[in-house]
Amino acid sequence: MLTRRRTLAVLAATGAALAFTSAPASSQNFTKQVHIIVPYGPGGTSDILARLIGPKLSAAIGQPVIVENKPSASGNIGADYVAKQAGDGHTLLITDVGTLSTQPNLVRKLSFDVQKDLVPVGMVMFSPYCFAVHPSLPVSTFAELVAYDKANPGKLNVGNSGVGSVQHLLAIVIAKKYGLKWGMVPYRGGAPAVRAVVSNESNVIFNGALATMPFVKQGQLKGIAVSGDKRLPGLPDLPNFKELDMPIVEVGSWQGFLASKGTPPAMAARLNAEIKKILAMPEIANKIVELGGEVRTDTPEQFGAWIAKAIQDWGAVVKAEGIQVDG
Amino acid sequence: MDLIANLATGFAVALTPANIGFCLLGALIGTLVGVLPGIAPITTIAILLPFTFSLPPASSLIMLAGIFYGAQYGGSTTAILVNVPGESSAIVTCLDGHQMAKQGRAGPALAIAAIASFVAGTFATVVIATASAPLTWLALKFNAAEYFSLMVLGLTGAVVLAHGAPEKAVAMVLVGLLLGLVGIDVNTGAPRMTMDIADLGDGIGFVPIAIGLFGIAELAVTLGRPQDRSLLAVKISNLMPSRTEIRQCIPAMIRGTVLGSVLGVLPGGGAALSSFAAYAVEKKWSRTPERFGRGAIEGVAAPEAANNAGAQTSFIPLLTLGIPGNAIMALMVGAMMIQGVQPGPQVMTAQPQLFWGVIASMWLGNLMLIVLNLPMIGLWVSLLRVPYRLMFPAIVLFCCIGTYSVGNTVFDIWVMLLFGAVGVFFYKVGAEPAPFILGFILGPLMEENFRRAMYLSRGDPMVFVERPISALLLAMALGLLVILVLPAVKRKREEVFKE
Amino acid sequence: MTLRLNVPDLAFAAFLVALGAFAFALASELSVGTAAAMGAGYVPRGLAAIVMIYGAVLGVRAMFVGRQPFPAVAWRPALLIAAAVALFAVLLPRVGLAITSIAVVLCAGLASYDVRLRENAVLAVALAIFSVLLFVSALGLPIPVWPQ
Repeated sequence: MLTRRRTLAVLAATGAALAFTSAPASSQNFTKQVHIIVPYGPGGTSDILARLIGPKLSAAIGQPVIVENKPSASGNIGADYVAKQAGDGHTLLITDVGTLSTQPNLVRKLSFDVQKDLVPVGMVMFSPYCFAVHPSLPVSTFAELVAYDKANPGKLNVGNSGVGSVQHLLAIVIAKKYGLKWGMVPYRGGAPAVRAVVSNESNVIFNGALATMPFVKQGQLKGIAVSGDKRLPGLPDLPNFKELDMPIVEVGSWQGFLASKGTPPAMAARLNAEIKKILAMPEIANKIVELGGEVRTDTPEQFGAWIAKAIQDWGAVVKAEGIQVDG
Repeated sequence: MDLIANLATGFAVALTPANIGFCLLGALIGTLVGVLPGIAPITTIAILLPFTFSLPPASSLIMLAGIFYGAQYGGSTTAILVNVPGESSAIVTCLDGHQMAKQGRAGPALAIAAIASFVAGTFATVVIATASAPLTWLALKFNAAEYFSLMVLGLTGAVVLAHGAPEKAVAMVLVGLLLGLVGIDVNTGAPRMTMDIADLGDGIGFVPIAIGLFGIAELAVTLGRPQDRSLLAVKISNLMPSRTEIRQCIPAMIRGTVLGSVLGVLPGGGAALSSFAAYAVEKKWSRTPERFGRGAIEGVAAPEAANNAGAQTSFIPLLTLGIPGNAIMALMVGAMMIQGVQPGPQVMTAQPQLFWGVIASMWLGNLMLIVLNLPMIGLWVSLLRVPYRLMFPAIVLFCCIGTYSVGNTVFDIWVMLLFGAVGVFFYKVGAEPAPFILGFILGPLMEENFRRAMYLSRGDPMVFVERPISALLLAMALGLLVILVLPAVKRKREEVFKE
Repeated sequence: MTLRLNVPDLAFAAFLVALGAFAFALASELSVGTAAAMGAGYVPRGLAAIVMIYGAVLGVRAMFVGRQPFPAVAWRPALLIAAAVALFAVLLPRVGLAITSIAVVLCAGLASYDVRLRENAVLAVALAIFSVLLFVSALGLPIPVWPQ
C-alpha cells in the first residue's frame, strides 16, 4: 500500500513540473511503468543500488519504477531477459562487472551479446579491492608475501567469489607476473570467501575495500594493498596497486545501467541524465560511499567503451589461461 | 554484572514506544509473509529496505529482524494446517504437525510450535548475549573438512526421518543428492546436468521442489479420496495442548534449542540441518519412535525449537564477525551498511546501544509473537472449518504466486508442477519426500566442501580424520550407522513398522 | 520360488534406474578428473551409477516380496490441479495476475467432486481481487496485474 500511495503522491507532485521540463521528443518520454531488472537475488550491491535509485527515478520520470529480481549466480538470466524486451527504455538492467565483462569471455553459449543486445546507459559506482591475508601469515608487505610463497610453495590459497570472477582472474594475473604458486579456491560469493579467509581455511583474499576495512582494523585480516592508483583514506598505510606495479591497477567491482536492444540514443541520454542527477543527491551519494564505493558517472558512449575495454582485457586473461566454464 | 548492564542498555533502546512499534510491525509483516507459501522473507525485507533508510539504524534493524523471525513462526502455521512448507525448516514441521491437524489436533500443534519457538528464542537471546565469543570461535574452527563431516552426519541421520521402509529412505536421500548437483559446479564453474537450460544454472529451486512435492502432491492425493477430507473436518477437541503433552515436550524443546543454537552459528548449511537434526534426535531418543510421522507432538516441538534458536543464533557471525551466514543475513549487512553501520566486531564496542538494542528486541519480538499467535490459533483452526472445496483452489493459487515470486519466472511454476506429479508418484509407491529434501539441500554443500577440503590438503584424504572436530563428527556418523544396521535394532524396527 | 510382484516397489525401482541412467547420460560429457583433483563429473557420475544399481537391487527384490498392485490414481483431481498450475504458468506473463487468478481457481475448483459452479465462480473473482490487493498492492511484489 505504501508503495502505491507514495508513488501517487510523487506522481502528483512531479507531474506538473515534468510537463514543462521534459524534452518534447516522444522517444525520450516515459509512457508506462519502468522495470529495473536486478539479475541477482535481493541484498547484493546491484539490488540495493536499484532500490536506492528506483524511487528517485520514479519521481524524476513521473512513472512508477518497479525493481524486479531475476536472480542467477552469473547474472546472465536477468541480462538475457532485458536484452529481449522492447527497446523503448522502459526496461533497465542494473548489473556489475561480472555479467558485463567476465561472463561474456567465460561462457561460450551465452544467449545474448552484452555489446550488441544491450544499450549502455551509464555507470553508477566503482569500488576498489582490498588485498589482505590471514594474520597468522608471517608477512606484512607484498614483497614478503612473494618471498613467502617462493619459500613455501603451495601454502597460500586465494579465496575468491567464484570461478571466473574478477577476484579469481586478478589472482591469476598477479600470480603470473610474480611467479606465485598460490592455489585458487572458489566460494559461493564474496561473503563465504571472506569467512573462509577470516577462519584461515584459505589465507589470501581480494575483496571490496570498505567491506574488508573493519576486518583489517580489528586485526582479523592483515591488509597488504588496495587496488587503484591512490591510497584509501581509511587505510592510509596500505600501498596502492600503482605503487606496487601490479599488472592491472584500476581493478575493482563496478555497477551500471543498461537498457534493452534498440533503445534510441535520445532515451539512453535522458536516462543517463536523470540517473546522474539522482547520483548527485547527497543522500544517495552518501549511501553509495557507505556501501563501499564511489559514485562514478559517465556518458552512455563512455560506458559502452568502458565495457568493451573490460571485455577485451579480461578476455585476454581468460584466453591466455585457457579458463572455460561451460563444460 | 556486565550482562545485566548490557541487557539494560539494550532494553532501554528496544523499549522505546517507537521501537516497540517497529518490532510489532516487523513481526506482523513477517507472520503474514511466512504464512503465505513461497513468499520469502528476504523478498519482503528487500522491498521494505528503502522505507527503512529514513529510520534510525536500531529501529530499522529491529523491524527487519522482526520480519525474519515472524516469518519463521508463520511458516510453521502453513506447514501444520495445509502441509505446504515454504522453507526447509518447515518441512520437518509438516511431518508430524500436519498429521496432528488431520487428527483434529491442529490447535495443540500450533500452540506447541509457538511455545517451543518462544522458549528457544528466549534461550537463544541469552546465548547471544553471553556466549557469542565461544560460539564465534567454534564457527571459525569449522573449515571445509568439518562441514563435510557435519553433512555426512546429517545425511546418516536423514534415514531416521522416514517412518516407512528404511531402504526407500536411503534411495530417496540418493535421489535428493543427485538432483542437488544440477546447476553450475562451484569448484569448476561448469554447468552440470542442466540440459542447456539457462534457468537450471543455479540448480533446481528449493521452493518449487518443496511446494510441489508436499503442497501440490498432497492436494492431488487428498482430492482423490473424498472420504479422507472429512478428516480435516474432524471434531477439533481443544486448542491448547494438555498438561501431559507439555510435559512430554519440555525435554524435546530443550534438546532442540541447544542443537539449534549451536548449528545456527555455522554459516552456510548449519541452520538448514538444525530442524532435521532435532527431529532425528527426538525420534532416536524416544521410547515410542513409531509415533513419529503419525502426529507425535515432540516431533513438532523439537524442530520448531531448533529452527527458531538457529534462526536467532545465525545473527552471531553477523554481529561478531560481520560475516553473514545466509542470504537474509547478507541483506541485513546491506541494510546496516546503508545506515552507516559497518557490521563487524567493532559494532559491539563502538555502538553498544545498537548491538544490545537489537539483541533485546529479539527477545521482545519473540514475546510479541507468542502474545499475537496464541490467540490467533483459534482463528487459524477455524480456517480448517472452511469447506475444503473452497480452501484448495486458494492453496493452489497461493502456491503458484509464491513460487513465481522467488525468481519472478514461470520456469519455477513448471518445476513445481513436475515435482507435484513426482510427489504423487512417491506417495503411491510409499516413498517419503523428507529424506529426499535433506539430500537435496545437503548434497551440493557436501560435495563442495569435500572437494574444497581435498584441494586445500592437496589431495590428502587424511584431513578428514586429522582435524579433531571433523574426526568426532565422522565418528558420530559411524556410531549412528552402527545403531541403524545392528541386527537387533533392525529387527525391532521391522516389528514396529509391521504393526 | 514364485514371482510375487510388488508393483509399487517395482515402479519405484524402475524410476530409480531411469533417473540414474538419465543423469549418467547427462553427466557423461563432464570431465571426471582424479580422486585428488576431481572434475565436475566425478560425483554426478558416481552418484548416478549408485542410484541405478540401488534401483536395480530394489527391483529384483520387489519381484519376491509379496504381491501388491499399484494403488489407484484419482486422475480427475490430479489432472485438473496440474492443468490449473499449467494455466498459471501460461497465462500470467500474458494476461496478468487478475485474469490468471480467475482462470486458475475456476480450473482447480473443478478438481473437487463436490464442486458448485456458481460458488466456484464467486470464489474465483474474490480470490483474484484478494491476490491483487495482497501480493501486488500490499506486499509490492513485481507481478503484472493486467494484460500489457
